[in-house]
Amino acid sequence: MDKMAKSEAVLVIGAGVAGIKTSLELAEAGHKVYLCERKPSIGGALIQMDKWFPDNHCSLCQMLPTLNRDKSDQFCLRRGVNHPNIELLYNTEVTELQGKAGDFKITLDTRSTGVDSQLCIGCGLCAEVCPIEMESQFDEGLGRRKAIDLSNPYATPHLYAIDWEKCTRCGECVSKCPTGAIQLEQKESIRQLQAGAIILSTGFEEFDPRLATQYGYRRYPNVITSIELERILSPGGPSYGELIRPSDSRTPASIAFLQCIGSRDSRRDYCSSACCMFAVKEATLIKQKWPQADVHIFFMDMRAFGKGYHRYYEHARDALGVQFTRCRVPVVKEDPRNHDLMLTVASEDDRPVKRQFEMVVLSVGQTPAPEFNELCQVLGVETNRWGFCQTRSLSLVETSREGIYICGSAGGPKDIADTMVEAGAAACGASKWLGSPAIRPTDKEPMEKPAEEPAPKTAVFLCGCGGEIASTLDLESVAEHLGKLPGVVHVETVPYLCRSEAFEAVRKRVKEHKGNRLVLGACTHISGQMLDELTTRVGLDPALVRVVNLREEVIWVHRDQLEKALAKAKSMLAMAIEDIRQQDCLPTSPMTVTPNALVIGGGVAGMTAALSIARHEIEVCLVEKSSELGGNLKDVYSTLESGDTRASLRDAIEQVQKNPRIHRHMDSEVVAANGYAGNFRVSIKGKDESINTVEAGAIIVATGGNEHRPTEYLYGQNQQVITQLELEKRLFAGELDSGGLRSVVMIQCVGSREKDRPYCSRICCSQALQNALKLKELNPGIEVNVLYRDMMSYGFKEAHYTRAREKGVRFIRYEPDRKPEVRQDGERLTVEMIEPALGGTLRLEPDLLILSAGVIPGDNRTLADILAVTLDEDGFFQEAEEKFRPVDFVKDGIYVCGLAHSPRGIEETIAQAQAAARRAVSLLTSKQLAAGRVISETVQRQCRKCEMCISVCPYGARAKDDETDEIVVREALCQGCGACVVACPSGAAKIRGFRDRQVFALIDAAF
Amino acid sequence: MERYAILPIGKQGVLGTVRQFLASLLEKKLVDALLVPLELPTRDNVVPTIVSNPEQVQAANPLAPVMPVNAARLVSRITMVSPSPDRLGVVLRPCELRALVELVKLKQASLEKLLLIGIDCHGTYPVDDYGKFVKESSSPTEDFLNRVREGKDDPLLRKACQTCEYPVPMGADLTIGLFGANLEKGIVLVAGTPEGEKVIQELGLEAIETEERQPAIAKLIEERAGKREELLKQTQEEIRGLDKLMAALATCINCHNCKTVCPLCYCKECFFDSPVFEFEAEKYLGWAKRKGALRMPNDTLLFHLTRLNHMVISCVGCGLCTEACPNDIPVSDIFRLVGHQVQKTFDYVPGRNLDEELPLTTFKEEELPEIGM
Repeated sequence: MDKMAKSEAVLVIGAGVAGIKTSLELAEAGHKVYLCERKPSIGGALIQMDKWFPDNHCSLCQMLPTLNRDKSDQFCLRRGVNHPNIELLYNTEVTELQGKAGDFKITLDTRSTGVDSQLCIGCGLCAEVCPIEMESQFDEGLGRRKAIDLSNPYATPHLYAIDWEKCTRCGECVSKCPTGAIQLEQKESIRQLQAGAIILSTGFEEFDPRLATQYGYRRYPNVITSIELERILSPGGPSYGELIRPSDSRTPASIAFLQCIGSRDSRRDYCSSACCMFAVKEATLIKQKWPQADVHIFFMDMRAFGKGYHRYYEHARDALGVQFTRCRVPVVKEDPRNHDLMLTVASEDDRPVKRQFEMVVLSVGQTPAPEFNELCQVLGVETNRWGFCQTRSLSLVETSREGIYICGSAGGPKDIADTMVEAGAAACGASKWLGSPAIRPTDKEPMEKPAEEPAPKTAVFLCGCGGEIASTLDLESVAEHLGKLPGVVHVETVPYLCRSEAFEAVRKRVKEHKGNRLVLGACTHISGQMLDELTTRVGLDPALVRVVNLREEVIWVHRDQLEKALAKAKSMLAMAIEDIRQQDCLPTSPMTVTPNALVIGGGVAGMTAALSIARHEIEVCLVEKSSELGGNLKDVYSTLESGDTRASLRDAIEQVQKNPRIHRHMDSEVVAANGYAGNFRVSIKGKDESINTVEAGAIIVATGGNEHRPTEYLYGQNQQVITQLELEKRLFAGELDSGGLRSVVMIQCVGSREKDRPYCSRICCSQALQNALKLKELNPGIEVNVLYRDMMSYGFKEAHYTRAREKGVRFIRYEPDRKPEVRQDGERLTVEMIEPALGGTLRLEPDLLILSAGVIPGDNRTLADILAVTLDEDGFFQEAEEKFRPVDFVKDGIYVCGLAHSPRGIEETIAQAQAAARRAVSLLTSKQLAAGRVISETVQRQCRKCEMCISVCPYGARAKDDETDEIVVREALCQGCGACVVACPSGAAKIRGFRDRQVFALIDAAF
Repeated sequence: MERYAILPIGKQGVLGTVRQFLASLLEKKLVDALLVPLELPTRDNVVPTIVSNPEQVQAANPLAPVMPVNAARLVSRITMVSPSPDRLGVVLRPCELRALVELVKLKQASLEKLLLIGIDCHGTYPVDDYGKFVKESSSPTEDFLNRVREGKDDPLLRKACQTCEYPVPMGADLTIGLFGANLEKGIVLVAGTPEGEKVIQELGLEAIETEERQPAIAKLIEERAGKREELLKQTQEEIRGLDKLMAALATCINCHNCKTVCPLCYCKECFFDSPVFEFEAEKYLGWAKRKGALRMPNDTLLFHLTRLNHMVISCVGCGLCTEACPNDIPVSDIFRLVGHQVQKTFDYVPGRNLDEELPLTTFKEEELPEIGM
């Protein structure tokens, strides 16, 4: 496995969702990835959750590659990561680091799980006989497990492991194990490896609410955490998805969510960023299934700041009837008679009242994992005052040590969408230190196919599974039945198919009988890497191999129904045999890639993307509609967390101008585009109306957005009313006599979170905090009043919010239906509003009124139509999937970043541009794109060219060929979804592997 | 906005006036050719014909209450490979025009250089009945118009026509307006598009206002919608459940006539005529063995369900499938019933508007949430 040169490899520490994403990004580009995980299974915190905002589905599979997709031979990431370039190292920690960026030498320590993964067949007998029962960590203590058990029930193949702390070494499991896979002695093994870069993705630890004793967690049974609720709501959880409360297993009629548990307090002066939406999602799931439940969320600020969050929040509140009350609940008390819980909460008129709830959910925040500090010391990277990783100025992914990157919650609390962006950005940063991979496994030449297909000859192997299958199923009778089926040349029963001796036996037999098809009756163990190994050894195309799961799907379902088990086994095997007999194996045509990129937009997003791509020796064409680079950043002087941005802007512009690979098209715009991933042709109109056509393999949309021009609050009518950006300019350019100012008022959410624009502009609260702090710094005596709805100081911005309050900035909340009133009385500007805490009218007379005007989308429609991509409801570009594919479009080869995607800060824009660049580089450095096995095709004889298939194809994989006038399939883009087959009435659209005759034959074979 | 003009009726009668109008289109070079039904010499049927000589138009009879073929199929045939090079007027009944619009959406026809001339449709007789009717009448077209004047019931009309709630052409450039017109005096020529208006101007026809047309249409539609409801209810009863549906289709002999006459079945080769449905004898015997008995031909139910699945969203209810069935299976009634439900679900009226996308080609994240709940 170590045949690649050292600097090509990367080490990823932590196999949660961030680690998986960043690993896939680099593995797809051909890098060797060591994915190291402290626990015995992958998935991190996310694997405990089932459904995610905004569509309330599990969409983990969206992370899987869409190009060259067969290479990560899997459909569900819950079951594991299976990629030829990713080596998973479980139970492994980094103990030493030497060397420098580009050439790190890493020492890893792997602890054995007590179960030899080569020998274990995942039968579960060990757990059955183990006498030690304990709380299941996976089910958050709500379910039980044994001292030897699965640490993640979804993993395939099943990974049994011993919990060494609880194991009594009684030896029951050892004597029961049919394959001798268990060893009751924990062993450690040391391994050294080399890598050019390291990515930290160790995630977070949920806050332990026992530390906040006032909430009675673990004292009162019906006080649970939000993660525990997640397990309760999971169909695979301890209550199989039924909403029940722990004390009496009854469905609670009333549920209270308490926000900010372990966040935004004096010890943890940061916001955990994700918990507001997490609670809204859980409340939504509950209300959708149990509409009669009374669900309350008690919060301080509703931090629904991301793309689509505000809409989701409003939907939960207005359409589903989730009750939102603004108050921090001080204490939870229990009624010992019925285990109901008493809370003191704010009433409608803000007076404290007592309310009883049947269940309380604590929205626990994110804290650094306890081992994280130690790891950072080993790696020599700095942590911040709360123990999260410290990143460099203007970067979310660069640590203090060169060559080491961070992504996800280890660098600060965040949600999935932001984690995914950082995973891409970290991969982009790390690739700087990696040599380019010599051979990509995905660049392999397609297998040559003989002109004439030989007649199907199927060899069938049935696994006895050491008696597990053989003792229930009469395999002889099965074999006799199968032997008579068409195409079957050989049937054989083996004791263990998952042994490498068996592989050899299969190879010999197949050769002996000149078999060209293979059917295996076995279990889930024969999957992923093991199946890859087997097919390679036997020398068969994986498309001509079928596995029938006789253990989990037959024996374990019908243990006491021998007749049924036998009939089902025969049916399933016969179906597989018939299916594969009819399987054709046509060669696919790989697609070539034009190795150039086109970046549209010369703001910070576009420049970052262009520079990141050009670093990989790729020519970049950068189109900017104005005569200057810099975009909105030209009007920005500083950010809340990184300080001065002017130098970085100058630096970026200079780099872009000096880079010989970046070809600038100023005063230009894209006027036409056609083609597809790897092969776009784009027409660019220059200042002199001349049209330039460029070819590009990938396109990055970085066209930015604009500051909203307010129409309210006397803006444009009174010189004293200005926007935050205008204030920032005056403050930093020294144009403002702050000493002469007595009082300043800021109004938040001007034009945002309104009926017309139901989204949060995300950056304005930070702008307000920064400008308020700057005003206070210049003139401590100045009175600053910030009129707000919810302060969106998520993550570490919260500390700045605290600091602003400490400096005397006053924050006064207003309700959207009672907005502040601004009037001009002669020279005097007055702002009047209802003060919610006192109830009276507050009258302010500021010298300056600052409007936090928010972000509006640019004129995106024209470009969206040219590129044939979609916009979201608010007019920003619509990504392929909100959480897991934040920079992709459904149409491959086009990526989006920055304000074109959604409102976001400069650091976030840079990270997203790097993530988009990484996607483009992966595509552009592929010499060619291989098609998947299951793809569609057109039977020209039957095609009436109605083009229904073209209009329904979500991937742009079908098109009308200009020359032949035929409907063609761009095979590398086809995902095999079958929408074209449904749409085509003529039967001219077909999916390989699902041809009509094949499916009919398969159905027939079942009976 | 519709504009009206009058085609005065002289002693040549209604049909003569229509013929004269059509001839004038050719004479004044407003069109280079016309696709219009011409009477057979035997007079007992009509046949759609491309006419370029104005004299030939004297045999045209678009008002004859008979429809041997849905002419949308023919327009598709003419314009499928390439659009019409010359100006072609096509004279169509409302269901033909609607089918044509569907075919254009399916890229099976082109409206380029076409002048769409619709006619108000009182309905048509089955071909045999029309032949008998003609024999009993000296001027059958005029007699027919008298029979159905003011929406009077004519039991001879095909069931599909009696229950058709779209008697007025939609989207035509010009409509030969019979509803609400005083056919002693004149036919109302309706311009539905600027193209149509241009023709009226070129012909120098007198613009008029009419107050009778819309109420007459509304009355007719109301009556027909009522009859449609009855039909749907009755059909619902007749085919409710798999057993009844199988019984209704029991006499199907797989002749595929319904597919052949359907204006919307546009496949080059029907999936059901393909080798996919040719099996080895052992298969047939195997199925018979498994079920105890196998009715032959065996794939009739699947054929009709598949055709429903593919075509029903665009079904215009012309009813020719029922006419074509040698065993009198009420194919059209079944299509009307299912079509009504499906089209209602998607708020889709086939042929209403070229800009309305076919529901199958549109994707909405939140669609039909009640299904699967």
